[in-house]
Amino acid sequence: MNLITALARLLIFPGLVFAVPAAWFFLWVERKAVARMQGRIGPPFMQPFFDFVKLMGKSTPPRNGIGGLLMRAWPLIAVSSAAGAVGLLPVLPASGGFQGDLILLLALLELPSMCIIAAGFSSGSIFGEIGSAREAVLSVSYNIVFLLAIVSIAASQHTFSLAALAQQSASPLRWLGILAILVCLPAKLHLNPFSLPNAEQEIYSGPITEYAGPELAMWELSHGLEWVAATGLVATLAAPVLATWWAAALVFVALCFGLVLLLSVVAAATARLQIDTTVRFYWQCTLIFAVLAVASALFMRFRA
Amino acid sequence: MRILSMLWSNLWGRPRTLLFPKRPVVTERFRGLVRFDPALCSGCAICKMRCTAKAIEFKAGKGEFTWSYEPGQCTFCGRCVEGCKDHALSQDSECPPIYTAIGELKTAYTVARKTTVKPAAAPQPAVAAPAAVPAIPASGETE
Repeated sequence: MNLITALARLLIFPGLVFAVPAAWFFLWVERKAVARMQGRIGPPFMQPFFDFVKLMGKSTPPRNGIGGLLMRAWPLIAVSSAAGAVGLLPVLPASGGFQGDLILLLALLELPSMCIIAAGFSSGSIFGEIGSAREAVLSVSYNIVFLLAIVSIAASQHTFSLAALAQQSASPLRWLGILAILVCLPAKLHLNPFSLPNAEQEIYSGPITEYAGPELAMWELSHGLEWVAATGLVATLAAPVLATWWAAALVFVALCFGLVLLLSVVAAATARLQIDTTVRFYWQCTLIFAVLAVASALFMRFRA
Repeated sequence: MRILSMLWSNLWGRPRTLLFPKRPVVTERFRGLVRFDPALCSGCAICKMRCTAKAIEFKAGKGEFTWSYEPGQCTFCGRCVEGCKDHALSQDSECPPIYTAIGELKTAYTVARKTTVKPAAAPQPAVAAPAAVPAIPASGETE
C-alpha cells in the first residue's frame, strides 16, 4: 500500500471524511427509526449536524487545574480513538502494507469507553460518578463476551489481521462469533436495554452530565464514530469478499445501515434493565455461548 | 412479539407528533394565552392571587395599577380566568405562539382606576329605636 492509498484510507474512506458524516447519519437513522417505531415523527435529517454546530458555538464552563485539563482531554482522546478505529476498517480491497489488526482495533474501540469512565469520575458530579461506575461494570460484563467472540473468530480463521479476515469467506464458527459481537453491541453503544450509564430519567446524562459546548459536541461525535466503528467491524466480518472497490464500499455501507436499523429495533422494543440483570445476562447467558465458540474454534484448530 | 407488531404498525402509521414549526389543530375548549381587557378590569388582583405559576403580576399605584402577564411562566391552567369576577380575562383557543427570546410575549397594561361614585347619603327614615328585646333563640337552635 503506497502512501497516497494509506492517506486516502485514513482521511477519506473509511476515514474521517466518510466517518464524520456517517456518524451523524447513523445517529439520525437511530433516532428517527426509534421515534417512528414509537409513533413520533423524529428529528429532521440534518438535526445531528445542527446539534453539533450549535454545541460548537457555545462556551465551555471554566475548568481549572489538572482535573479541568483532563476533563478537556477525555472527549478529544475518545474522538481520536474512535476515528482511528474507523480508519482501520479494511473496507477497500487490501493492497499490501499494514492493514491493522483486530487487537489494535479492539484497543481503539475500548478507549472511548475508558474515557467516559474517567470523565465521569473527574467531573466530581454524583450523576457522573454513578454513570461511570455503571459504565465500568457494564464494560467488564460485555467485554469478556466481546473479546472471546473476537478470539474465536481469529482462532477459527488462524489470523488476527483484519485485512486477512476480510478476504476470507465466513465459516459457521465465524458467524457464531459475529452473533456474539452483535449481542454486545447494544451495551457498547449504550442502547436499550443496556443504556444504564446514560439513563436520562435517572442520572441525566451520566458521565457527561457536567459537559457542555464543544466538549459535549466532541462526546456526541465520538458516540457517532463508535456507531460507525462497531457496526463497521461487524459489516467487515460479515461482508462477502468482493474484488471491486465500489462494490465492497457499497456492501459495507448497506450492512452498516442494516445493523443500525436492527439495533434501533432492539432499542425501541426493550426497556432498560437493572445493572444486576445486565451483569447476570452477560456473565451467565452470553459468556457460556462465547466460551463455547472459543472452545470449538480452538478444538478445530488443533484438529486441523 | 406483541411489541414487535406494535412497532411495525407504528412505523408505517401516521406519527402522533408534528415537526416544528407545525402547530396542532385544537378545539374551542383549548386553553391558550390569557387575554386581558383593561376596560373591564376593576383591579381587584384576584387573578394574581389565583396564579400559582406567578405569571401574573399586579402593582397598585396611586389612581392606577399595572397588570402584567408572562406567558413563559404560565401553565395555562385557567384559574385566573375562572376567578375574574369582572370577566376581564379570557383565554385564546389556539396554541401559544413560538417565541425565541425570554420575555418576548410578556404584556403589561397600566390602567387608571375607575372612580367609584358613592351613592348620595339618603335621608334616614325616622324609625324609633327598637326596645331592648332579650334574644330568644330560634326553636331549631334550642337543644
